[in-house]
Amino acid sequence: MTPPPAHWLERDELGHLLALIRGDGYRLIGPTVDGAAIIYDEIEGVDELPVGWTDEQAPGRYRLRRRDDDAIFGFAVGPHSWKQRLFPAREPLVQIRRDGDDIRFSAARADPPPTAFIGVRACELAAIELQDRVFVRGPFVDHRYAARREACLIIAVNCVEAGELCFCASMGTGPRVGPGYDLCLTELDGGFVVEAETEAGAALVQRLDARAAADAELTARDAGLDSCRQTMGRELDTEGLPGLLFGNLDHPRWTEVAERCLACGNCTQVCPTCFCFDVKDVSLLANAETARERSWDSCFGQDHSTIHGAVFRPAIADRYRQWLTHKFASWTSQFDASGCVGCGRCIAWCPVGIDVTEELSAIRSQDPKPAIELPRPQVWWPREDDPLVPAPARVLEVQPETPDTVTLVIERTTAVREEPGQFNMLSLPAIGDVPISVSGSGEDFVEHTLRGVGRATKALSELRPGQRLGVRGPFGSRWPIELAKDHPLTLIAGGVGLTPLRSAMQQLAANPDDYPAVRLFYGARSAADILYDTELLAWDSLPSCDVSVTVDQASRRWLGNIGFVTRLLRRKELPLDGRYFICGPEVMMRQVLFLLDEAGVPKSHRFVSIERNMKCAAGFCGRCQYGPYFVCKDGPIFRHDHIDFIFGQPGF
Amino acid sequence: MASCDGCQLTLLDCEDELLALGEAVDIVHFPEASSALRPQGRFDLTLVEGSISTPEQLEEIRHIRAVSHALVVIGACATSGGVQALRNFADHEQFMRVVYATPSYVSSLADSTPISAHVPVDFELRGCPIDKAQLLEVITASVVGRKPGIPNEAVCMECKRRGVVCVMVARGQTCLGPVTHAGCGALCPAYDRGCYGCFGPRESANTGSLATWELGRGRSKADMVRAFRLITGAAPAFEHESKRHEP
Ligand code: SF4
Ligand code: SF4
Ligand code: SF4
Ligand code: FES
Repeated sequence: MTPPPAHWLERDELGHLLALIRGDGYRLIGPTVDGAAIIYDEIEGVDELPVGWTDEQAPGRYRLRRRDDDAIFGFAVGPHSWKQRLFPAREPLVQIRRDGDDIRFSAARADPPPTAFIGVRACELAAIELQDRVFVRGPFVDHRYAARREACLIIAVNCVEAGELCFCASMGTGPRVGPGYDLCLTELDGGFVVEAETEAGAALVQRLDARAAADAELTARDAGLDSCRQTMGRELDTEGLPGLLFGNLDHPRWTEVAERCLACGNCTQVCPTCFCFDVKDVSLLANAETARERSWDSCFGQDHSTIHGAVFRPAIADRYRQWLTHKFASWTSQFDASGCVGCGRCIAWCPVGIDVTEELSAIRSQDPKPAIELPRPQVWWPREDDPLVPAPARVLEVQPETPDTVTLVIERTTAVREEPGQFNMLSLPAIGDVPISVSGSGEDFVEHTLRGVGRATKALSELRPGQRLGVRGPFGSRWPIELAKDHPLTLIAGGVGLTPLRSAMQQLAANPDDYPAVRLFYGARSAADILYDTELLAWDSLPSCDVSVTVDQASRRWLGNIGFVTRLLRRKELPLDGRYFICGPEVMMRQVLFLLDEAGVPKSHRFVSIERNMKCAAGFCGRCQYGPYFVCKDGPIFRHDHIDFIFGQPGF
Repeated sequence: MASCDGCQLTLLDCEDELLALGEAVDIVHFPEASSALRPQGRFDLTLVEGSISTPEQLEEIRHIRAVSHALVVIGACATSGGVQALRNFADHEQFMRVVYATPSYVSSLADSTPISAHVPVDFELRGCPIDKAQLLEVITASVVGRKPGIPNEAVCMECKRRGVVCVMVARGQTCLGPVTHAGCGALCPAYDRGCYGCFGPRESANTGSLATWELGRGRSKADMVRAFRLITGAAPAFEHESKRHEP
């Protein structure tokens, strides 16, 4: 295939091009000088572009400077990125209206006006393509993002000068603009080489006073790109980087950089690929209207890794390691590409000048441990429905289980039948939504057992039959119960960890011919905390099932086993060819896995359920990250050998 | 308690929302708005501004705690001791002699301290003054039963979401944003000024690194004492940092 012909546009014609685009109904967003920096803002024409300006950049330092020529695109990237336009810092996701016991949820639409991005650099286009992988090429589509993406026209610019902090050449994202643009300009003396990639771009060229580019102009373009490539201010050795980082989770450099890092989050906010967000219900007093909003978040904040008051990444070292391992390692497993495009923003805009390229090379060069193998990325086929909008569902029944735990029986709202181990997001207006595992389901109902510990779970546990709540889901991976067809299966549960196993147990118990040998070991805090007691007895009476219960605290009325579930396990046979499903607090699961290690049960025979902070459940918000995984889409059920390098590691 | 009463005014400033507020809650005691006497009894939510600066205040806050279901303390004084806590760094007897003609009439504690130093508090709302939207959020959260949506993060996060160009990086100014609790919406940086730290230190405030960076680019130790010893200078992280740079 021959490349589409390149054209030559005289310098003065750029204004004409911008006018044509505006005339076609596009709003123009482009670089412009704002006080102390070149930012991206709405512009009307060439006059507002940074003609004759450039920037000087160093770690923690950015200054505007006059050029000695009148180049229009003679600067490197600044503090803003196109992310602000496609994934705004704050936006409503769902509008909620409460009307008595009735609740209505409706998707907040983006309705973006057609927008032209003027001056998109190679690294920036690569960053947009990376965010596409998050928002439109995962298990779900973020419809707000997708709408904005479709409404944009991309006028890219090849870089012929490199910035002090640029390393796109190392990341393979530049300086030549890759696919995905409508028009690409290369600024040379007196004008631009123009290349069109799309019909929209080609149509614009047609209407311009542009001739075919001469060979000398094309040579000058290539020479400019070459010299840019040769003069990159930074360099990064990316060879085997993901495995190297995960092989060095205890490298001393993490604590060293944490002494300098402020955990301010600026690096993540300026990074054009960072996508984490938080979701909050915004309402006023007892008003009937609630807006469920998202806003940019950062792994440097404490809330990012907090669930039920426990902080998974308390130290700055944990948070810096999360940022760097995510960007340069986990991304590869999650999205099949590095999360860094080499734009240098995080280096310039770190208030204390921390340089990612320097940190990474320090880890590589100071006694690194061997690299490890990371999981391969999954391929997803995005579902079309909006995963963030709940469906209103009626509470059919509320069954008290223990003094602080109830089972909500809720009317089914989706055709998709939940699998054991999956979860739904349950929500109440003005309070927010929380992930709750499915504890049982039938033709037209779903069951969720929940303990009213947090504010949201407390409000949910106070619902009465007939009242409504919002449900979205089901999400996540499931227990592979089919393994019990050929292997003895042991389910080990601690506390409310029994709830996701209960739906598995119901299916196992109902099909004794398929699942002939099932054992359930369950540890509760006290006799009063035992869940599903009648069901436990019923399962135990079946020839195919064997149920043992133990309690931590003895009481006068309890005549059964006393002690942790591990104590019970020690007295049982743990067959090597058996399969094991484990769910409970992480300390309990650790001890159980340790026992299975001692017994010699292979890690690939064990499955555990992991809990992390979740906001979207659809793979967008980044809150549930667990090393190279997302708990909401790769989990919550994981095979032990797939996570053994992070399971129990502080900071993950 | 000891304060300028400015945070109470924030509540009065909620003009548009005041009506709805009156419908949602029953306001029984509000000195800045009404001189009605404090009723006896128990309260669902008590907002307290000001620091503990006198023996009488110490007594009173214990009583308030005992009769309140939820105690929310508001403002820099109540959460860190306030600007009046600058006396904690000096000889308070000497201050009294300079300021008052007859210091023996003044009964005052040596230090001005946050409420949480004396009684357990349910929520600390920071700021000098507090932000009106955040105050409404705390009241709303208590009415509907959610966790107050007050992010526990650095001012920088608000600054970046707002699209402000960083004054540390692009203008070379000292800014306490990275170590300060969010809430103001990055007000000062939005007007090209570094953050003064009104909302007090955030969790994980790495003040040492910020000071090292500033000293490295030519600021003096006296500059560091001034930067960290201002409105919330008695908050432990800031106090510790300013003391490190004292002559
Ligand atoms: S990690 Fe830094 S250099 Fe890489 S894309 Fe993000 S901001 Fe740019
Ligand atoms: S690396 Fe720099 S920008 Fe990022 S959190 Fe640390 S101090 Fe802030
Ligand atoms: S101006 Fe201050 S608050 Fe804003 S990003 Fe810079 S350091 Fe943070
Ligand atoms: S990515 Fe949002 S919860 Fe997993």
